[in-house]
Amino acid sequence: MIRRKAPLGFLKRVFKRQKPHLRLKTSSDLLVHLNCLLFVHRLAEESRINACGSKCGIIKKEHVLAAAKVILKKSRG
Amino acid sequence: MADNFSPDSEPTTRTLLRRVLDTADPRTPRRARSTRSGAQRDLLETPSTRRQRSQTKMTARRRSHTAASVDRLARVQASGHLEEQTPRTLLKNIILTAPESSIVKPEAVVKLVPSPQVVQPSRRESSRGSLELQLPELEPPTTLAPGLLAPGRRKQRLRLSEFQQGMDWGHLSQEPRENADASSLTSSLNLTFAMPLQPQSVKRPGLARRPPTRRVVDVGTFLQDLRDTSLAVAPPGESHRTPVATVPTDTVLEDTQPFSQPLAGHSPSVHHSLPCPSPSGAKEVEGPASRRTWSSGPGLQNNHSGPGKPAQLLARKVEEVEALAVGFPNISSISGEDGVEPLQNGVGEEAEESMEKSMSVREVEKAAEEQGSARAEEPEGHTEVAEAAGSLGAIEAKEPEGSSEDEDPSASPKLAPSTPEFLRTRRLQSPEPAPPPSTAVLPSELPKRLSARIPPRPRIPGSRPRQDPYKAGLNHYAKLFSFYAKMPMEKKAVEMVEKCLDKYFQHLCDDLEVFAAHAGRKTVSPEDLELLLRRQGLVTDQVSLHVLVERHLPLEYRQLLIPCAFSGNSVFPTQ
Repeated sequence: MIRRKAPLGFLKRVFKRQKPHLRLKTSSDLLVHLNCLLFVHRLAEESRINACGSKCGIIKKEHVLAAAKVILKKSRG
Repeated sequence: MADNFSPDSEPTTRTLLRRVLDTADPRTPRRARSTRSGAQRDLLETPSTRRQRSQTKMTARRRSHTAASVDRLARVQASGHLEEQTPRTLLKNIILTAPESSIVKPEAVVKLVPSPQVVQPSRRESSRGSLELQLPELEPPTTLAPGLLAPGRRKQRLRLSEFQQGMDWGHLSQEPRENADASSLTSSLNLTFAMPLQPQSVKRPGLARRPPTRRVVDVGTFLQDLRDTSLAVAPPGESHRTPVATVPTDTVLEDTQPFSQPLAGHSPSVHHSLPCPSPSGAKEVEGPASRRTWSSGPGLQNNHSGPGKPAQLLARKVEEVEALAVGFPNISSISGEDGVEPLQNGVGEEAEESMEKSMSVREVEKAAEEQGSARAEEPEGHTEVAEAAGSLGAIEAKEPEGSSEDEDPSASPKLAPSTPEFLRTRRLQSPEPAPPPSTAVLPSELPKRLSARIPPRPRIPGSRPRQDPYKAGLNHYAKLFSFYAKMPMEKKAVEMVEKCLDKYFQHLCDDLEVFAAHAGRKTVSPEDLELLLRRQGLVTDQVSLHVLVERHLPLEYRQLLIPCAFSGNSVFPTQ
């Protein structure tokens, strides 16, 4: 099963790497993790739809690529 | 209710039973049901009424229960069996409902007799209660009622003992006969009734479950029977060849031909791998003639696969038997008879020895096989197969047919002397592959262990943290991706996902920075995150942030995010 622990340290490190001049609040850590979860969820759904659309039993790179295009555009904010 | 029996002054159990028996017609096969039901209802009602009168401490619920049970019983009896309303049936029901046997001694039974009548109404088994109430009810039950409500089982036992007592008095002499078929209890009662003079001393021998009678297999007789049947079937086997419609005949036909060869040399292999060897053997020995049956053989084998392996085994054995039986003349015609006959003799000897080994298998097959024709052929098949298979066949019979089948086609081409060798080699081969891989693993493990002892320390630790933790985090989300996708993924797809995540994080940080700057802060707060989610379309007027939090985050994080009121007028997390 997937471990339910949020990689908060990883998220903080990534944010720090990207924006060293910014800080992250405690609660926002979890919300960032939630955001990532939702993003991954949407990406997986889209990839699965693409794979099933091409009648493949396996998710391939093309499916993920096409899905990422759509979802990243959606998550632009 | 009808107080029919009120005029009777204190009827004893004996009188009650007598009355019951008199009113009940012993052999009324569905006649005068209504009359009898009416009589029974009266009988039932009177005890209930008496019960209510006598039991002062009985709760109203119990009375209602009993009344309801009485009514239910009457209805059930009326609606159920045709002869239900007789006191006999009532007793039968009582016996059925009564649980364990009454191990109570006569003295104890006598003492406890009055109690059950009081407790019976609570039992809801009106049939039992009614009759039994009739028996002991006349005695002063009130005092004993409350104390004996707890031991329910004892009550039932007592009831039976009461019956036994009643039997002593000779009232229930007729009951047991009818109750015999009801259950073991009834059977026990029957036994007790049979001995009216000793009702209580009987320890319910009839209740004891009979051990399943198992017929011990008499190998000698079995072999004899097989031989007899085989001899009897041998001639008809030829006649079977012509009709091809019936499946068993087909099997017979197939067996006849293939078995000619097995007799020559494939007899041992034929046995264990029933379908394959026989057809393959047939091919070699009997050219065109065998092909006819042989072609039908595989088809038959396929058909037999449906019923299951035992059926297959049986069918094949039948085929083999038939082939042997019918193949003899063919063999004689086509190949040398000399070779066949001596083989048969030798095989026959081996067959007996292997018979015991394969006995269990055959017995199972016999049990599984339900076709009458197959059965008729089985004994032949058994004998023939045993003869053909020989010792090897017996050993092989227990092996999985699949494996044997695979080997058989290759083995069939070889003659009899070669097939045993092949079989032996085959068996040896199976364990052989196992050891070689293990041996191969061992040498590889040794160098690995040696290398493991020398960890790769000379690596530069500086460059590692950048990639590894970052990769580890991405890996975490990549695994989540594969989990959400619920479909197998390629490795390249996973890498692609990681790339997308990387891009996503970049976008995320940029957006958060913008939002924080818009709010004039240098610290990203949850409000920024909520705004981000709203812009992404995840949070809508219908779906709030808290809903998403509850859906996707575990409890520990939920508690941290969603403000909850606690005692002492405190809210956590504080707003």
